[in-house]
Amino acid sequence: MTSLKLGAAVLRGAVVSAFLASALSTTALAAPPVDLSKWSPEYVRSIAGTEDFDTAAECGKVTPLDYKGDLTFWYQGVFEGDPDLLRQYYKDFFETFRKTYPNINLKEQALTYNDLLDKFRTALTANAGPMVVRLQILGGVEFASKGYLQELKPEDVGWSTEDFWPGAMKSVTWEGKTYGVPTNNETMALIWNADIFKRAGLDPDKPPATWDDVVAYSKQIHDKLGIAGYGLVARVNAGNTPYRFMPQLWGYGGGVFDEADPNPTYSEIRLNSAASKRALQASYDMYVRDKSVPVSALTNQQADNQPLFVSGQLGMMISHPSDYNVMKDLQKKATGDDVAKAQTVIDNMRYGLIPTGPDGRRAVVFGGSNMHILKPEYVDGGKVDLPAAKAIICFWTSPEWSLKMAYAGSNPGNLNGFKTKWMKERLDNIKFLDVTTSMLPYGVPFPALPQTPEIMNHIIPDMLQNALTGAMTVDQAAEDAAKKVKEVAGGGGL
Amino acid sequence: MTIVSGHVAASHQAPPTRASLLKQMWVSRTDYLYVLPAIAVMLIVIAYPIYYTIDLSFFKTPPGLQLRDKIFVGWDNYTAILSSEVFWKVTLNTVIWTLSSTIIAFILGFAAALALHRDFLGRGVLRAILIIPWVISAVAASYIWKWIYHSDFGIIGAILVQLGLASRPPNFIDNINSVLPSLIVVNIWREFPFAMIMLMAGLQTVPDQLLRAAQVDGASTWQRFWHVTFPHLSGVSTVTILLLAVSNFNSFIIPWIMTGGGPSNASHIWITHIYELAFGRQRWGVASAYSVLLFLILMTLGYFYVRALSGNDRRGPS
Amino acid sequence: MATTHNAKRRARRVDGWRWAGRIFLLFMLLYTAVPMIWMLITSFKSGFAAMAFPPEWWPKEPTLASYQKLLDPQNSVGQDFLHFFWNSLFVSTVTTILSVIVAVPAAYAFSRFSFPGRNFLFFSVLLRNMFPAVIFLVPLFILMRLLGLINTPGSLILTYMTFGLPLAIWLLKGFYDNIPIQLEQAARIDGATRFQAFVTIVMPLSVPGIIATAIYSFIGAWNEYIYAYTFLNKNDQLTLPIGIQRFFSENTTDFPGLMAASFMMSVPVVVLFLVLQRYFVRALTEGAVKH
Repeated sequence: MTSLKLGAAVLRGAVVSAFLASALSTTALAAPPVDLSKWSPEYVRSIAGTEDFDTAAECGKVTPLDYKGDLTFWYQGVFEGDPDLLRQYYKDFFETFRKTYPNINLKEQALTYNDLLDKFRTALTANAGPMVVRLQILGGVEFASKGYLQELKPEDVGWSTEDFWPGAMKSVTWEGKTYGVPTNNETMALIWNADIFKRAGLDPDKPPATWDDVVAYSKQIHDKLGIAGYGLVARVNAGNTPYRFMPQLWGYGGGVFDEADPNPTYSEIRLNSAASKRALQASYDMYVRDKSVPVSALTNQQADNQPLFVSGQLGMMISHPSDYNVMKDLQKKATGDDVAKAQTVIDNMRYGLIPTGPDGRRAVVFGGSNMHILKPEYVDGGKVDLPAAKAIICFWTSPEWSLKMAYAGSNPGNLNGFKTKWMKERLDNIKFLDVTTSMLPYGVPFPALPQTPEIMNHIIPDMLQNALTGAMTVDQAAEDAAKKVKEVAGGGGL
Repeated sequence: MTIVSGHVAASHQAPPTRASLLKQMWVSRTDYLYVLPAIAVMLIVIAYPIYYTIDLSFFKTPPGLQLRDKIFVGWDNYTAILSSEVFWKVTLNTVIWTLSSTIIAFILGFAAALALHRDFLGRGVLRAILIIPWVISAVAASYIWKWIYHSDFGIIGAILVQLGLASRPPNFIDNINSVLPSLIVVNIWREFPFAMIMLMAGLQTVPDQLLRAAQVDGASTWQRFWHVTFPHLSGVSTVTILLLAVSNFNSFIIPWIMTGGGPSNASHIWITHIYELAFGRQRWGVASAYSVLLFLILMTLGYFYVRALSGNDRRGPS
Repeated sequence: MATTHNAKRRARRVDGWRWAGRIFLLFMLLYTAVPMIWMLITSFKSGFAAMAFPPEWWPKEPTLASYQKLLDPQNSVGQDFLHFFWNSLFVSTVTTILSVIVAVPAAYAFSRFSFPGRNFLFFSVLLRNMFPAVIFLVPLFILMRLLGLINTPGSLILTYMTFGLPLAIWLLKGFYDNIPIQLEQAARIDGATRFQAFVTIVMPLSVPGIIATAIYSFIGAWNEYIYAYTFLNKNDQLTLPIGIQRFFSENTTDFPGLMAASFMMSVPVVVLFLVLQRYFVRALTEGAVKH
């Protein structure tokens, strides 16, 4: 936090330029409800708790509260590794929705992040999908391009396009038309254990400023203390991997295409550029040369880093503010000596901005989720109850609920959420929230292309694994990945 | 309707009579009723998917189009597969996986059956314990062994480090060279009890008199085994090896759950690779072509399988 | 003199083999049992203790917390687990019953009757055994959708039957082959129809074979993973293997919980098998070996 105060002015300047850049690439904006050009931790605090919203009333305008209908809905649920208070909010949401719309017969289905895409695709091949689905931001474009989704924009559910982040709106746009409404958006931050830093001879309050520093710090921690420094994850077909590698790739100035540029065209493949290879080399250095990351990184997800971190066996990792709550939950389950160990870790947990590349470029994945409505012919049962669908979308993307459902790990997709009183409460309760929210302007959305899931979930992790196992050199791995990206749009090849 | 002709001597294959085929089928129509449920189930669950897969193998499925809008590409998928490096790597993995698992599981099972053949105190309990891995779900087994092999917390690593034999826990499943052997060990763990049971049953049919006669003639234990026991079990052995090979060829759960085919395709076998192509990477056309190739190979293996079984049928107890 | 010398030499050599056999059995016992013992030990540890390095050989503070969590109907985890357990039980039992009902007459027919296409049908039934599940996943999914069986136990039952049928028919056929036909012929002479002879004479004699078929079916259905993963989405329909995977796939890898769940998933089939194993072995002996 101290580092932020020092750099606040610089931060604001960077934010403004980043924002103007992304703003220019969208259609003309009316005034958004919050002033994105002023975005900073102080600004976020200043607007919190300044407005009240009545969800039932707002959504009642879209679909009358006594509407009678049937609705099927799939979403990414909360499971073991999510903090308890988030689970409570999810329960509250469905209870409140049912109370508000008592005559809508809702059948909801929770799936894990990694399962959701698989199952959704499988269901669609047999025209057995749900009416409404909440998909991670990566997924929507594929289905829009295939023609599975109905056109849908925020105006259809009682909000306005300006109420949402421009980057999020980009992710629900395909060929000029909008196919969804964002529910929440988030960006991650760097987490480190100040105690481990101190014992390894590093300044406990200063996070690594660049990715090269991450490599160096990781090595120092490993050499001095014998534990893993950075929580590298390289598992295939797991969302965590690209979310943590892409910031590194973009930071060095690389990328899959030109997605990190202000006006991406996705026409040029940059995965085998010198900058991209340098990024890959950094991971190689950590895993192979220095051996300063967990050996099981090749099969690890972030969930595997959490227990390591809370037991003091991992120095740094990239994740959401919710990890702080997860650490507290893990501590509650500990016994004996472990309780004290966990407490030390929790007291020493620090959040900071994601490191920059050697040129000072800072980037993070603009993550989140969107809700979509399917076309009737692909739905199990052959029809879509449109008013009921709009009701639940209005509900989830309302200021109140888009905030509550993103309480611990994310941020409301609806910018009005930042003005609610619960935002104020969050800022007080969720430690480090201001750090991750201040990363939002650095968010780079994944390329809005149907082949993006395969690129992010398979090609990128494969590239990492090829390089880290030594099956290919760093050069070869990057070239191989670039070749695959080229083939993937055609749908052929292995 | 009591029809007597044609239903005598049933346990041997009756030669076709001279009556015309259709007449025969009509005459035996109630017989078909006995097998109808089984055949119906099989047809439904097999015929349609086979047709569908073969059809799909001639198309490609780009990510921007729905499945029904697939694009016809003729033999392109087949050539892409046969000319891709990954395919040959996966083929090699599959051959190593199937051969090693089958042969070693068979040998271990055979040796265990021999060792358990003679009655001793606790034999029943020991036999029961040895059978358990086969009964446990492959999913459970995968998680158990994954935990044992864990690069940071596994007990094998811990034991080796404590005994001073290694400075760091060895890397079993995160290393491209050791991952396949490590998975094979798990597969053998699950498969050998099957061989053991089959051979235990077979051993019970070896006539004692022959063995005693050989012993009286001065044959050593090994000679008795090699010249009396082993030949007698050739039928059971063939069947067991074939069943094991088929089962190993098709095993999906262990490689998929433990490593997902990684790292870097080092533990992909045909089955897991097809699954990843189809469900992970949406290459339905290519995965279908891959499957058809697999059919053809399995058909060939199947030919030998069937020949061995029917040979077994005809041979009967020697 | 030569004979006693030979006898002594043989005795020592036999001892050599016997000792080799014992050592081998000891090795196999360790190979088999140690992973299962480690699974049990881990299930008694707390989350952190499981991740201690070097690991605790015996938990300093053994706890039944993982088991309590999984079996407690008040707890959401426990509710889910018990539900999965029930689903697995239901699917496996129905599959077994239906498989037996379908396999028994078919095996009998293949054994006793000679109708055109008998051999072809018999071996095509066996060939099904050879095709890997993966190949059929998507077409079967579409088929199940057409039949309206997605997300129902019906889709699994139908699919599992086709796995179990080939071996079941083969086993039972072998059994029937070994039942002398004279028994039925005697009954037929006494006036029974072929069907009556089948039901009253033959079936009771083949009970071990039927039990073996039932065990094989049940265990196969209980442990099956890939089809259940594809056909079932709704949380309340999941069977144990998928349910367990869903618990632990996304999140904090709660190894003690995972081990406890694996243990409890294995208990029913192991118990079932141990109780009924002699039937299974007998069936293999009579059914498979003496073809």
